Amino acid sequence: MHLAFYDLKQHRGRFIATVFGVGLLFTIVLAMNGLYRGNIYEGLALINATNPDLWAVERYRGGPFNEQSTVPEFYHYGVKAIPGVDKASPFIYYTVERPVAGKSRHFSIIGYDVFGGLGGPQKIFAGRNIEHAHYEMVAHPKLGVHVGDRVPLGLHTYTVVGLTKEAISSDGEALVYLSLPDAQEVLYQRDNEEIRNQRERLLRTLSSQSYLSPNQADKLLAPLQSDTHIINAILVRLKPGADRAEIARLIDKWLYLSAYSTEDELQLMLKGRLASMAKQLLLFRTLLLIISVVIVSLVVYTFTMEKIRSIAVMKLIGAPDRVIIRMVMEQSLLLTIGAFLFGLILIQNTYQLFPRTILLVSGDTLFTFIIAFAGGILASILGLWHALKTQPAMALGG
Amino acid sequence: MGILRIEGLTKVFGSGRLEVRALQDINLSVSKGELVALLGPSGSGKTTLLLCISLILEPTAGKVVFDGQTIFQKDGWEGGVDMRRLRREKVGFIFQSHNLIPFLTARQNVLLPLSLIGIKGKEAETRVMELLEYMEIADRADYLPALLSGGEQQRVSIARALANNARLILADEPTAALDTGRGTRVMDMLKKIARENQSAVIVVTHDERMIEGFDHVYHLKDGCLERNVIPESVGE
Repeated sequence: MHLAFYDLKQHRGRFIATVFGVGLLFTIVLAMNGLYRGNIYEGLALINATNPDLWAVERYRGGPFNEQSTVPEFYHYGVKAIPGVDKASPFIYYTVERPVAGKSRHFSIIGYDVFGGLGGPQKIFAGRNIEHAHYEMVAHPKLGVHVGDRVPLGLHTYTVVGLTKEAISSDGEALVYLSLPDAQEVLYQRDNEEIRNQRERLLRTLSSQSYLSPNQADKLLAPLQSDTHIINAILVRLKPGADRAEIARLIDKWLYLSAYSTEDELQLMLKGRLASMAKQLLLFRTLLLIISVVIVSLVVYTFTMEKIRSIAVMKLIGAPDRVIIRMVMEQSLLLTIGAFLFGLILIQNTYQLFPRTILLVSGDTLFTFIIAFAGGILASILGLWHALKTQPAMALGG
Repeated sequence: MGILRIEGLTKVFGSGRLEVRALQDINLSVSKGELVALLGPSGSGKTTLLLCISLILEPTAGKVVFDGQTIFQKDGWEGGVDMRRLRREKVGFIFQSHNLIPFLTARQNVLLPLSLIGIKGKEAETRVMELLEYMEIADRADYLPALLSGGEQQRVSIARALANNARLILADEPTAALDTGRGTRVMDMLKKIARENQSAVIVVTHDERMIEGFDHVYHLKDGCLERNVIPESVGE
């Protein structure tokens, strides 16, 4: 006889309320699983999509994604000159927040050599790639733009010539591809008033030096202006058969840069920015699973205590312990499995509504189910303990 | 043929100055088809005796033989005897407060002891309906206990006690929660069961009005069985 089922049928209101409540907790656990996978995917998507043979970045820095890296733009000529290097392209990547299509948008800009350089968008699903040196952009549709839209950035307006979904920024935001000089201008170019003020401040400082004539101070003004020819990394493609490790060593030794393979870059992200997020999510998931087990445990305990006299009667009429154990454990598992299924159905139907990518992986779901199932068994222990120590004599008397 | 034989049964709780002799040198024998009443005021040891007969409470001394099998001797429970198995296969219980499982219907309550001894499916369903019809409660088979009157619940409880073809039926104050009319009806049913099913029936009660027609009536006082009276109605 399915005693657990009949009992729950009798208490269907409490059963449904528990399934709903614990189910919502499981929804959050499953969403966090998806968020973890989504963050890993997003964090590594751009590295995977760019995928050069080597990333040359500022020395001792884990750039350009895990850590800031600043390299003079002309260094890419030096890298290109190393034997075995087929191509070395300047690459710039930074995050901005600007108004786009009437809304303030947070997105990342990639600047690359649009004339055959590495690091540009590979798969354009609408429009075309950037073909001109200035004022064109390729964007991720997440930015809320369409081909032909005109987007003002800094001092100029850029036309959306293509859309790509291939990659997303490591923060899960939209990506915008610009030509290298355009990206540098958006990043470094200040407005005219700011430039005038800066020039004025610098000229005053130079003029106050007694060893400089006004003419000399004026001549020094231009070279002392801040340099905007700065990039974050140099993307390197090697010639067939070239020794990657050796070239990385040469870049490191002679150009005072650090060189990483794409696999190294992925590991830098996984062990760096993504690691703390992963730990945080693991901690939250663990806590939520423990809370779920505690709630189910208390509900099962309450169910058990309410029928303690029935349990005594069952023992008196000779029910073996396994019948009692099965009843309590089945109740716990019905609650846990019901709640899990509710959570699963809910997240399957709502994951698109989350602002960050929720990547649901069946392996994670199965693993969470196994943990939940084990938790369900664990949750029945308190009820079982009480049920098993109930004396059949309790059934006798008034 | 003897179903239950108790010799010199004693039950002592506590020790030293706190020692309480709940049962003292009880001798009792019940044969199949016999109806036995245990009368006594509160605290006389009725429930303790019932617990010992139910194979739940271990006596301190004496001997208990159930259905030809020695269950208890002075050294303790006989090894290898599964008390719960004996209860589910050979003993039926009727309680003062009916003690039906509240989340099971009348039919399911009667089905429970059958499923415990492995009788399932059509055979079990047929037996359950036969019992409910025998107790004249078949039309309430799919009602939950909460929707049945006290008398109806007690009839379901009796049907449940009969489900396993019990050799011994133990009834603990079966009429205490019923009015006189319903109580008499329940007692009549127990007499009918004893005669027709040849089960031994032991009824613990404090109501002497209900024991008419019983084969033996024992009075318990301060843990001792004082007399064995064969009611006049039996001899008539």
